[in-house]
Amino acid sequence: MAEALFSSKNQKILKDGMWDTNPITFQILGICSALAVTTQLKAAIIMSLGLTFVTAGSNVVISIIRNYIPPQIRIIVQLTVVSALVISIDQALRAYMFDVSKQLSVFVGLIITNCIVMGRLEAFAMGNPPWKSFLDGLANGVGYSAILIAIGAIREILGSGKLWGIPVIPELLYTQGYVNNGMMVLAPGAFFLLGIMVWIQRSISGYKENS
Amino acid sequence: MNTNDTQYTFVFAFIICVTSAVMLSSISEGFRHQRELNEELDVKKNILKAVVLKEPITPKMKAGDVLEIYNSKIEELVVDKEGDVVVGQTPQQLKGKDNDLFVLYTYREDGQVMAYAFPITGQGLWSALYGYLALEADATTIRGITFYKHGETPGLGGEIEKEWFQNNFKGKTIYSVKEHRLTPTVVVKGKAADQLSGEALSYHVDGITAATITGNGVTELLNYWITVYNHYLERIRKG
Repeated sequence: MAEALFSSKNQKILKDGMWDTNPITFQILGICSALAVTTQLKAAIIMSLGLTFVTAGSNVVISIIRNYIPPQIRIIVQLTVVSALVISIDQALRAYMFDVSKQLSVFVGLIITNCIVMGRLEAFAMGNPPWKSFLDGLANGVGYSAILIAIGAIREILGSGKLWGIPVIPELLYTQGYVNNGMMVLAPGAFFLLGIMVWIQRSISGYKENS
Repeated sequence: MNTNDTQYTFVFAFIICVTSAVMLSSISEGFRHQRELNEELDVKKNILKAVVLKEPITPKMKAGDVLEIYNSKIEELVVDKEGDVVVGQTPQQLKGKDNDLFVLYTYREDGQVMAYAFPITGQGLWSALYGYLALEADATTIRGITFYKHGETPGLGGEIEKEWFQNNFKGKTIYSVKEHRLTPTVVVKGKAADQLSGEALSYHVDGITAATITGNGVTELLNYWITVYNHYLERIRKG
């Protein structure tokens, strides 16, 4: 009894990851990178692509071998798979997008320790078949990306007056005394934005704190 | 199948390790050529940046154009620790060898020497720092400095790769003509102008907040490499 590729159950997996249980606003995971790489839109997008690829890829691999993984060493096995994927991405970036890889510096490597990746492996891939796991990884990656890109865009506009490196604030405003918000370039700026994002997302999605 | 079995666990771990190791080494090997080309280009770009070209290279320039500028303006020399130019040695031959020979670059514009540059490396807080220091034709004034490879914390020690930090060095002097002694640039904690005055300002630069150890590393490596190259530089100063 084959299930349709996008059955209602699978659609729910997608929707959960992207919206209802969004890794950043609902699970509050991956905050480090959400603060660190969001000063510019470009870095945020590349980090998002990397993380989405790693979450989806490692979910599939772990899901395929889930029934063979000895429970005592499952975390180590997960970590090995994740690291291997991350190093592959890093090598590919160095070969074909050298400037980007320099800009991201250590953050690519830090995808390994991103809680979202391990979180999805433990919570989902260890107990679900590959296709579902792939959807789950993809959805969580996209959910993470959406928040990251939004924060990246806002911070770049307010912090440096640019978007994707192109000035967007008219020169006229600067001559009138407008100045870029220096806090937006630093981590605290991201903290405030992130808080606001969590608030907005949770009020729309109807999040309730369990007590 | 009993996945709790100890022997099974070992075999499984072994298979996972070998598989990932083989996969990673083949990927690394497969990309190696392209990666090395990029790294070499990056090094050359940084030398060109350090010597401050009359017409600077732009990020949009094609690799071929950058290499052409490099080949036409930069001359690579090898010097020994006494400051003599070693003829017949190329920097490529020195790679990975531990000897008393050092690479030196000269930047010429219409045959006129504009700058001397040499590689500088040393220890930061987390990682080795790699960069270039360029001096004006007087072999005394710093023309430019770059750091192109490091593993310091972005936003803290990682600031050494930023323009504002590197620009602080421009115009500082590494040699006091009055006192006939070397004055390798020192990275201070905080702002140099708040703590020092007079001649000291000509060889002290502002530090990076929350990156004192990286700053100390930069101070140490400058001291070391300026001393190493001083025999050669001394000859230039004497004319």
